[in-house]
Amino acid sequence: MTQPVTQPMTQPMSEPGALDGAAAPFTAYRQKVRPEWLDYNGHLHDAGYAVVLSAAHELVLESLGLSADYRASHGASMFTVETHVRYLAECSAGQTLTASTVLVDADRKRLRLYSELYADHRLAATGESLYVHVDTSAGRSAPLPDDRRARVDAMLHAHAGLPRPPHLGLGVGARL
Amino acid sequence: MSERVTTPYEGRGHTTWDPDAEIEAPLHLHDTPVPAEWIDYNGHMSESCYLLAFGDSADAFFRYVGIDEAYRAAGHSLYTSETHLHHRQEAGEGEPLRLTLQVLDHDRRRLHLFHEMRHRDTGVLLASAEQLLVHVDIAAGRSADMADDLHERIAAIHRAHAALPTPDMVGRPMGIRRQRQQ
Repeated sequence: MTQPVTQPMTQPMSEPGALDGAAAPFTAYRQKVRPEWLDYNGHLHDAGYAVVLSAAHELVLESLGLSADYRASHGASMFTVETHVRYLAECSAGQTLTASTVLVDADRKRLRLYSELYADHRLAATGESLYVHVDTSAGRSAPLPDDRRARVDAMLHAHAGLPRPPHLGLGVGARL
Repeated sequence: MSERVTTPYEGRGHTTWDPDAEIEAPLHLHDTPVPAEWIDYNGHMSESCYLLAFGDSADAFFRYVGIDEAYRAAGHSLYTSETHLHHRQEAGEGEPLRLTLQVLDHDRRRLHLFHEMRHRDTGVLLASAEQLLVHVDIAAGRSADMADDLHERIAAIHRAHAALPTPDMVGRPMGIRRQRQQ
């Protein structure tokens, strides 16, 4: 997690809040590193990065109307299928974490989100997650309802022009 | 929650290296029931808590090969550079988890691991994690070769795990794979 070990392979897409308008990544997440997320080295624990990325992605799902309220009203929910975290720098207590998220892809049932996580404006990690829409009573995947699909398509369209970093969609250990 | 993230093996008993013992393939060093604080609004184990469980299993592995508080205090550690989680099944509060760990590859500085989490009683695969770790000199903040004894232990585990099949999700990229007609 120290910088010389794994250099960021590309320039960050953008600093959170650096862009305005439709063609901007989703940047609502903002959170101080909490003491209970620290490991024995005094840095954000491996699983803490997953907590933060998950929370940042939950805000995106919320903006699409696909979070906790949706589950209560529709009996369906977005489930995480895969998560790929690349650790690029340590994060310490008190640093402010922000995230810049792009909806990279979607189909009738699935969403793929990519985030760059910053600690005090320094790129600290990237996270990619695949979600599937699940009908919780049937216990199986199901297509998104039309109104939610329209919101997903609108975000997909708005994010279409944003840059895709070269490591996106690559497996662990991929060399660029 | 505690002051910081602790692992079940800090200052407690864990499996220690025995040069004469046969090496398990895969290694099974950690079991845990799903604690109540890991449950999310879906009533299931929250996605980030899978990584806590895999992290505890990795910590048991580190201690098994000799990376503990004393090792870190002497200036070196293993840092995670990548993690790729696959979530297969939900887990509810109290369900018994059984964690296993396979050494896929290694060199002097790097370690490629594969973890599985199964329901201890049914054997159902709940999740897997592929991880790339780097051995670092903490003060210098850069990668560093492992000492011979550590490297030999990891090499011995790698040899013992060579006969295990490579799981099909290893190295696989993430994506929405579309059927032709869609």
